[in-house]
Amino acid sequence: MIEVQGLTKSFGKVKAVQNVSFSAFDGQITGLLGPNGAGKSTTLRMLYTLLEPDSGFARIDGFDIRESPIEVQSRIGVLSDAQGLYPRLTVRENIRYFGRLHDLNGGQLEKQMDKLIVLLDMEAIADRKTEGFSTGERLKVAIARALIHDPRNVLLDEPTNGLDVKSTRAMRQFIRQLRDTGKCILLTSHIMQEVAALCDQIVIISNGVVSAQGSPAELLQRTGKNNLEDAFIEAIGSEEGLA
Amino acid sequence: MNKIRIIFEKEVVDSLRDYRSWVTGLFWALFGPLMMGGILIMIGSSIREDIEKPLNLPVQNPENAPSLIQFLEQHDVIVEPAPADPEGAVKTGDLNVILVIPEGYGDDFSSGKSATVQLVLDSSRQSASTDRTRIQSLLEGYSTYLGTLRLVVRGVSPEVIHVVTVEEVDVATPQSRATALISFLPYFIIFAIFNGAAPIITDTTAGERERQSLEPLLINPVPRRSFVLGKLMAAFPFSLASLAITLIGFGIVFNILPVEEYLGVRINLTVTTLLSIFLICLPVVFLASAIQMLVASFARSTKEAGTYLPFIALIPSLPGLALAFFPVKPELWTMLIPTFGQQIMINQFMRAEPFSVSNALISIITTIIISAGITLVAIRLYSREQIVIRKR
Repeated sequence: MIEVQGLTKSFGKVKAVQNVSFSAFDGQITGLLGPNGAGKSTTLRMLYTLLEPDSGFARIDGFDIRESPIEVQSRIGVLSDAQGLYPRLTVRENIRYFGRLHDLNGGQLEKQMDKLIVLLDMEAIADRKTEGFSTGERLKVAIARALIHDPRNVLLDEPTNGLDVKSTRAMRQFIRQLRDTGKCILLTSHIMQEVAALCDQIVIISNGVVSAQGSPAELLQRTGKNNLEDAFIEAIGSEEGLA
Repeated sequence: MNKIRIIFEKEVVDSLRDYRSWVTGLFWALFGPLMMGGILIMIGSSIREDIEKPLNLPVQNPENAPSLIQFLEQHDVIVEPAPADPEGAVKTGDLNVILVIPEGYGDDFSSGKSATVQLVLDSSRQSASTDRTRIQSLLEGYSTYLGTLRLVVRGVSPEVIHVVTVEEVDVATPQSRATALISFLPYFIIFAIFNGAAPIITDTTAGERERQSLEPLLINPVPRRSFVLGKLMAAFPFSLASLAITLIGFGIVFNILPVEEYLGVRINLTVTTLLSIFLICLPVVFLASAIQMLVASFARSTKEAGTYLPFIALIPSLPGLALAFFPVKPELWTMLIPTFGQQIMINQFMRAEPFSVSNALISIITTIIISAGITLVAIRLYSREQIVIRKR
């Protein structure tokens, strides 16, 4: 459960995020849709505690992101824009490192790791060093290490960025599976079709401001359009920066 | 505490697998001892050659001065015939120095006048300086010897012409004379400590940012200070290894080479000395890792860090370089400067000078306090959000 209330963040004169409020619920996929530079990633980075909001607050499972960052960090799994791995470590060693930082160890850690390796279909590469991995392979490792502690809340920043059609479909399927286990999933995207296909709740952001939010049906009703893409464009006021 | 260990272990394993960079580090650690050994061998062999060999001296017209020739031959000089053009031969470098005895020498000598001889030499040629000074002092010796004899014959005390007698009192013990050469040693030791830590620090800070793994790492539920401390400590074993290898290298060079034979003195680099140096240098390992960590954390890439760190390694080494030329007494203020105090103490150990325990304690404590301060600054740096939003 993620609650965001009046979140605001500026970098110098640039107002990246202004007064953003929304809630993301367990067992649902919530999408932050907006053109490039709308403030989606900045919002997400505040939620995963790397940036501090200028004002407003956010709570994850009831823990305030500013007051209890460590509690928040142990309750979220994050796939950020930066997905660097350690090239001299094997896939298992990469994942194990993050698992140990989440206080997992021994059999519990290995079991959870094996589960993720099967789930993400990477048995073949599990004991290889990650040097020279393809984008898809790297992404799988990055997801596995983000989910090693089986977090209740999953934050994904543009999760299908740079993937081919087959991998994109597999990724979407994986996100749905996560949702079906009752997790609270918050993802960002600038791809209308993706948000339309995946999300139970949609928050539309442009220029750092939330311009509309609700379920797909609610958005259609509110904008008076008969398809989601038109509804998005109506809410944002422009097609620029979308796909 | 547990998290610090996890980060430490991961960084050590990761760095050990980067074997190219630590093997290069090993070579750097051996650089000082190898260079010092090379210089020692060169100095040693040239000093021995020059002193032990008899001097071959071409003389023009030796028949004009039989008693001078006899004197020279008694002093280990082999008199040879000179070429027809003495000045030409010296100019081209074929011969170092040639003695020319003019025709009038015998007459002047017999009549008690000042008899002139010419020494053909090239004062700009360094390699001929030993030959030159040797023959010059022999000629002066001959002149003084005969002059004294003549005064005695005339019933005058030779002291009349010695208005001032210069007596040199050389306070340099043989060992301290040799340390003029090995004053460079502290420089190499401090440099090795910094150099050993540099590749690991670079990889775990600037490298982490460059390969875009810093942001995912910092999202883990770990206090920022644990990241800083774990990464800092991961550099310690590599820095210590570099220090140990350099010291062992120096130990081998100074104990295997016949330094006593080369320089005429014994160098005090026993196992105990080396261990003492190792112990007083331990806080420098902390300092070198902390200061390099702070600087590398500002770098966006390993390449950028690679342009900063050699400077950092050089700055603390500068006092050591200065020590080679201007000996500094081990006063209290010098102990308050990290790396400077250690270098002075290393010098003391090698000179087998009396050594003050309180100085060592002051040096160790100030170095640790300053290193801890730098570490705190690094922790604050890592606690700011700029650490991740800095442009990659």
